[in-house]
Order: sequence, then structure tokens, then C-alpha cells
Amino acid sequence: MNFKYIILFAAVALLAVLPWLVSDSLLNAAILMLIAALFAMAFGLLCGQAGMLSFGHAAYFGVGAFASVHAMNAFDGEGLLPTPLLPLVGAATGLVSGILAGYFSTKRTGVYFSMITLALAELLHALAPHLKHVFGGEAGISSFRMPAWGIEFGSFTDVYYLTLVWTLLSIGLLYLFSKTPLGRLALGLRENAHRLRFLGYNTHALSTLIFAVSAMFAGLAGALQSLNIEASNYVVLESQISTAVVLNSFIGGVRVFLGPAIGAAVMTFFGYISSDLTRVWLLYQGIIFVLVMMFLPRGIVGEIAERIKNPSCDGLAQTAITMAQRIASLAIAAFGAVFVIEFLQRVLSTEYRAVARDGHWPDITLFTYDWSPVSAVPWGLGIGVFALGIRLAIIVNRRAAARQEAQA
Amino acid sequence: MDQILFALLNGTIYGLLLFMVSAGLTLIFGMMGVLNFAHASFYMLGAYFAYTLEPFVGFWFAILLSPIVVMGLGVCVERFILRRVHAFGHAHELLVTFGLAVVIAELVKMVYGNFAVDYRVPAELSFAAFTLSGLDYPIYRLFMGGVAVTMFITIYLLLTRTRVGIVVRSAIYRPQTVEALGHNVPLVFMGVFGIGAGLAGLAGAVAGAFYTTNPNMALELGVMVFVVVVVGGLGSMGGAMAASLLIGITNSLAVGSDLRAVDVLSIVGLGDWAEKSGGLLTISMSSLAATLPFFIMLLVLMLRPSGLMGEKE
Amino acid sequence: MTDPILTLQNVHKSFGEAKIIQGVTLDVTAGERHAVIGPNGAGKSTLFHLCSGQFAPTKGEILLNGKNIAGLKPAEVNKRGLARSFQITNIFPGVSVFENLRLAVMRKHNLQYVFWRSAAGVRRVNDEVDDLLTKIRLTDRAQSLASELSYSEQRSLEIGMTLASDPQVILLDEPMAGMSHEETDYTAGLIREITQGRTLLIVEHDMSVVFSLAHRISVLVYGEIIATGTPEEIRGNARVKEAYLGEEAA
Repeated sequence: MNFKYIILFAAVALLAVLPWLVSDSLLNAAILMLIAALFAMAFGLLCGQAGMLSFGHAAYFGVGAFASVHAMNAFDGEGLLPTPLLPLVGAATGLVSGILAGYFSTKRTGVYFSMITLALAELLHALAPHLKHVFGGEAGISSFRMPAWGIEFGSFTDVYYLTLVWTLLSIGLLYLFSKTPLGRLALGLRENAHRLRFLGYNTHALSTLIFAVSAMFAGLAGALQSLNIEASNYVVLESQISTAVVLNSFIGGVRVFLGPAIGAAVMTFFGYISSDLTRVWLLYQGIIFVLVMMFLPRGIVGEIAERIKNPSCDGLAQTAITMAQRIASLAIAAFGAVFVIEFLQRVLSTEYRAVARDGHWPDITLFTYDWSPVSAVPWGLGIGVFALGIRLAIIVNRRAAARQEAQA
Repeated sequence: MDQILFALLNGTIYGLLLFMVSAGLTLIFGMMGVLNFAHASFYMLGAYFAYTLEPFVGFWFAILLSPIVVMGLGVCVERFILRRVHAFGHAHELLVTFGLAVVIAELVKMVYGNFAVDYRVPAELSFAAFTLSGLDYPIYRLFMGGVAVTMFITIYLLLTRTRVGIVVRSAIYRPQTVEALGHNVPLVFMGVFGIGAGLAGLAGAVAGAFYTTNPNMALELGVMVFVVVVVGGLGSMGGAMAASLLIGITNSLAVGSDLRAVDVLSIVGLGDWAEKSGGLLTISMSSLAATLPFFIMLLVLMLRPSGLMGEKE
Repeated sequence: MTDPILTLQNVHKSFGEAKIIQGVTLDVTAGERHAVIGPNGAGKSTLFHLCSGQFAPTKGEILLNGKNIAGLKPAEVNKRGLARSFQITNIFPGVSVFENLRLAVMRKHNLQYVFWRSAAGVRRVNDEVDDLLTKIRLTDRAQSLASELSYSEQRSLEIGMTLASDPQVILLDEPMAGMSHEETDYTAGLIREITQGRTLLIVEHDMSVVFSLAHRISVLVYGEIIATGTPEEIRGNARVKEAYLGEEAA
């Protein structure tokens, strides 16, 4: 238990001194990670704790983002709503839209709920282009962060601290929320809403409220994003945003409190650093998600938490060795897969198709070497490395299984 | 009047198309309890595969072969992916299919590019079926409607008149009992999943040539299918049929209408006020057509939360 | 033991063509343990669903403390003092036993839409949960996940949750189904204890339990009550023998 607090304290301390440690570019990545983490935590409350899988959470993120841009323009960062308090506008808008949308979507449960959330988000997405004065049309709406409280809010560092404070505060509030009667009832909704009804609870009202709280924090995250990029465009209402938060949260693990946040932060980080290296990051994200769902159903953080809670009988050293072997063989397989996908992507790209006409296939540079797409070498190499990695992983798993059987 | 007739006909055919996809979804859900999020992705793949095959085998073989390829893919998805996660519960299966939908969309973008491809109605089918007050009605629409209707009749006969159909229908209600009777339920599941995917693929192969074939088509149609299912209820084919037609027809009636909320309000003398407030009130129905199905869904949720023909949960 | 606390007056329920309950009239007296028995498919579970708000009756009145509760939602019925258990174990499997009971207890203290205080900080709730844990003899298992309990422990938990709202009337739907002899004896003892000062309506197939536990028994056959009386009267009733026990023998 104490160990947990030490890690938590260390993480917060690290976040607090981060601007002295990393470059501006990485600090910008850290801002995006924090926003994604908060958004995922909002999603996690609804999905992980209350068991309601929303496929349309971009809507609440989006309305928060737009509301805060409008507020930024209306108040010029002064008066009642100085810049640091603007996220409250996002939160309030998220809350109100959450009550409205929650009322409808929680009329049904299970898969119906999921479909309704998706449909509602698409409704907003379809309406937005027609409401120019609200959503600003193609160009979106831009604004400026005004200085307030003696802070310029001009540098990455200022924005980083603003984001950090709001994110930590919100995550703290979400934690406290999970301890309140309403937060506990969220678990009841997830586990057995039918039973709750027979215990005298109004499950529709409960679901709506929890939906609204989740939407509120999503709206707050949206507001932070607006503050960060000083603009909002109806791209934030698109399905990719809803999709990303689902993928990130489940890759982290929605049943452990910080799982969604960690998943989102890590995936955002990889997305950020790989944006120059690959054009198909979303594809990798999707593949990682499917693999996690198939092989680590609790999510990565969830699986780690489970291992810590119920350590295997192998002993620490053996577990560490097995884990290292597993990771190494999977890394080999991943390298092979990435090689094939990247090569394929380059061969199929419009640029390459434009040059490769009339049976002429120029070489393609990948990982600093030139490869010919009509030769078997690059394909064979990629597939071979991938197969080798999978083979090794299977061997490691077999050995681990055999050892456990021998002990049992 | 003729315009309304056209709109009704278009709506019916779009509705039949929606039903081709939602029927497979309902069938799979009823049988396996899995909401297949990737169902509309199979629809998209059907269109893309037909587009790819067309230069080699011609249009007719392309729309015949493409669904078969999609069906094979569906079978693989069920056998190697869904069956693996079955033990983790239905929510997990839904999530896996959701992930697959993302992967399929990204793969399509990678292979075919993030834009519409030139998949068109073949020349031999691009002529007018009939002309009403100077407007041509394309024969291809009737062809799509014909394919859909033929498909329903086939499925209906298969489900009601054959032994396999009886096994499938009983496996929907009592999988354990059917298994205990010595039927291979996993095989039945795999088959139904494959056929559902194949149907979606057929719908895509046929419709992709008429509408557009682009990487967004899965999401766009998928959302409509979900609306259909929420409005109609997942439990019943009849409900899915009614909702598909309702959504299809209202959609195409709205597209053809220039009515604005302002016009309605001016009847009661609120026209000026509405004109000034602007926003939603001054947008014509035709530009809001895309959102109309969603409003129908909200209305149904308010008045009859369990869907038009759904049972109470 | 003369005032009826729960009264059914000419209650009917049909599903489409199927008439499941056909004019049931029944008085359950305050403080008694009343059992409903009958062959499979007689409509016993449906009767419970009607009393607890799962279904609305097609016709007839259901009075709880003299007020009609027919057609009210389950949550409403619960608030008026009638709680039920389920034939199939119906608990919150993924959370602790303590949490299961806390969720059940909180309602009584109006802790529903409360997000400004900690649930663990409400002493009355904690005390009542501890009390219930003692009553259903699950104190040692308080922190276990409900899904990890044995079958009979889960049934005890189910009964504990039914008790949590401190209801005047408790409906138990086959609490002993699927239990071994020892488990049945144990649960019968438990039910005797916890129903002190309350009214119990129970559906159960285990006749030895029914005849030893119930003060009065009603026999439901094909949606109609053919007899109501003390266990002795029911034993001696010819119609019951014919319609119910006779069928069992055959």
C-alpha cells in the first residue's frame, strides 16, 4: 500500500519538474498526454466503473472545446473568467450536454446504449457544419490565451502547468467521486442494474448522472485542448476522437483506476513521436488494441496490477526472466510486422504509384536501406523476422506453461 | 407528386439496402449475442473487393465473387479472433469487433488511399428504367432493390424450409440444447457469422457502384444501421425491416424538401422571430436530411424506449 | 396475527393468449411465514414478479398495508416496504460482499445521488452492514468478491441484501434451490432468524422445509389458489392431494 503512494508521489514530483528536464517539443507532447489522460479518465468512469461503453465521447470533449473558445473570446481572459478558470466553462457545458445526452442514451442499456452514444455523436457531427456561428465552419474558431493573474500563458511551460494542475485536480476529484455513494452505485450499475432496481434505486437517473459527470470531465479535457491550441475546429467532433479514447482506455485497462490515464498517455506519446515516422499510426493503434483485447483482456496496466496482486508461483527472478524473454520475442515479431506494414504502405502510397509507372519499380528507402519492391528480399525479411518472433514467443510460453505444470 | 413518388421509391430501395446489412447484424446478434461492430466494415470491403475484381472478371463476376471473399474473411474473424475472446464475455467481443473496424478502415485507407475510388455502375446498367415528368429513373436502383428482395426470399426460405435453417433458428434460442442434440454449434455460429458478413459484402458490392466507395462508407452506413437497430429492436427481423424502410423513406423525402422550420413557424406568425434567431430554424430540411434518422431515434427512445417492435429488456 | 399486510384481490396476468395467473385472491397476515407451493409452471414466480413490480397485473389489485401497489415500478414497491430475493442468484458479483450489502443498505438512508461525502464515512451504514454480515454469518468473508463465495454463501448474501432495506414484507423465491441437505438446514435456520418480526412470503419446492417453516401454506395450481391453510390442513386437503401431491407421485 505504501509502495503505491511512493510511486504516486514520485510521478507527481516528476510531472512538476518536467519543464526543467525536457525540450519544448517534448513538453508539448506532455501537454497532449495530460489532456488525453484526463479524457480517458472521464471515459473510464463511465465505461470502467459504471460499465457503460460509450462510442461517442468526442461529442462532450468537443462541446467543451468549443464552449471554452467562445468564452475565451467573450471574456478576453479577464473579469469573471480569467484564462486559468476557462476549463470550468468546458466542464459546465460538458455537464449540461451530458445530462441531455445521458437522459436519452441511458434509456437503454448494453449494446443499445453503445449504439445510441455513437449515433448522438454523429448527430452532432452532422449538425455542426450547418451551425457556422457556433462551430465556425471549415476554419473553426480561433482565439488567444490572455495573460491573467500575472501569468503570461505564452510559453509551453505556462500552458503545461495550467494543464497539469487541472488534470491532477480532476483525477483527484474522480478518485474521490469513486468513493462517494453515487460513485459506489456506479459499480452497482455495472455489476447488476436489475438488482439495483429491486433495491429501490432509480437506475435511469443514476445512469444519467454518472454519464453527466463523465461528460463534464470530458468537456474539461476539451477545454484544456482549446486552451492549448488556441482554437477549435469540428475535427474534435469526429469519430476518430471517440475511437481513440476507447482504444487508449482499454489498452491501459478500464477496471484499474489509473489504467485509462496511463494507456492514453503512453499511446499519445507514441503517436506523437511516431507522427514523423509513420503515416499509419492509427492502424498500429488498432492492431495493438485488438491484440491487447485478445491476449491481455484486463489491459496492460490491469494485467500488471493483477500480477502484483497474485504473483505467480515461479518466484520473482524466474518471472522477470520469462517476462524479458516474452518481451524480446514480441519485439522481434513487432519489428518484422512493422517492417512489412511500412514497406507495404510506401509501395502503395500515391507518391510511389506516381513514379512507378510502366513496369519501372524504383527502390524504396526504409530503415536507412534501399529495397526493391519487386524483389523477394524485403518481403521475405519482414515476414521471416515476424515468424521468428512469434515462434520464440510460443517457445517461451510453452516453457512457462510446462514449468507451472511441473510445480502443480 | 412525381417527385414524391421518386422519393418514396428511392427511400424504399435505400431502406432495403439498410435492411440487407441490418438483417445480418440482427441474425448474428440474435444467435451469438455479439453486436458485430465490424459488420459495416464488411459492407465496405464488399465494395472495395468488387472494385478490385472488376477489371479482371467483369462487373457481374465481381459482385458475385466479392461477397464470397468477404464471407471467407468473416469466417476467419469468427474462428480465429472472436472465438478466442468468447470466454471474456459479450462486451469484450464487441470491443474486439470495434478494434477490427478500426483496423479494416485503416487498411483500406492504406491500400486504396483516403479518397473515393472509381467504382461505377457498368455501362450496360446505366440507363433509365422509366421516365416520369421528364425525370429519368435509373434501372440500377431497381436492380439494387431486386437483389435485396431476392436475398430476403432466399434467406427466409433457407431458414424456414431447410433442416439447417431449423438448427440455426433453434440455436438462436437454445444453443446448449442444440449442442446437446449433437449439432455442431460452433460450426453453425461460424457459418452464420460468415453468411452475415457475406450479405453485408454483397450489399456493399452492389451499392458501392451506385453510391460512393470510400473509406468512410463503413462508418456512415454503420451508424445508420445502428439507428435502424435501436429504432426497430435487435430481436426481430420485422422490426429491422420496418425501421429500415422508415429511415430510408424519411431520409429521401427530407432530401427532396426545401421546407425550413421558419416556414412552419410563420404559419403561426413566428416567422420573423425564427428568421432572426437563425441557427437550426433557418436550415432547410434537405441539408438536415442526414440528421433526421437520429431525431427519429431520439423520438422513439422517448416514446417507446424498447424500439418499435422490441420486447422490454 | 389477524391484519392482512399484503392482500391480492382477484389478480390476473396473461401474456398474450397465455393466462398464467387467473384470479388469485390471497391474504398474507402481518408477522406470519406464508409459503406458496404448487407444481412447476403453476405461476409461482409470476406471482412474485407481480407483487414486486417486475410485471403489472392484467387485472386485480395488490394491496400493501392497504395501498394498491399493482403496476408500480420495482424501486417504488421496495420503498413501500416489500423486498424480494431471486430464484437465480442475483447479486453484484464483481465487488466485495461488504460492498454488496452497502449498496443494498444505502438506499434506506437516502444515499442515492450523493457525491459530496464518502460512502465509507457514514457510520450508520457501516454499522448496519456489519449487523447484516453477522446475521447472515458472512463477517469473515466481508472483503471477498461476491463471485468467489460458495453457492449457499451467495444465497445467504442474497437474503442479506433483501433484508437491507428493513422491509416489512420479504419475498423469497426458492431460497434453497440447488442446495444440499446441510445447506438447506442452515438456510432454513437463517430464514427463521431473520424473519423475526417481519412477514415472509416464500416459494419453495423442498416440502420438508415448507411444512416446518410456514405458518400457513397456499397451493397454486394453474394460476389459481386451490387451498390455503395451516400445514396440517394442507396435508389433509383432498384437492391438494389430487392436484398437486398426486401429480408428484405420478
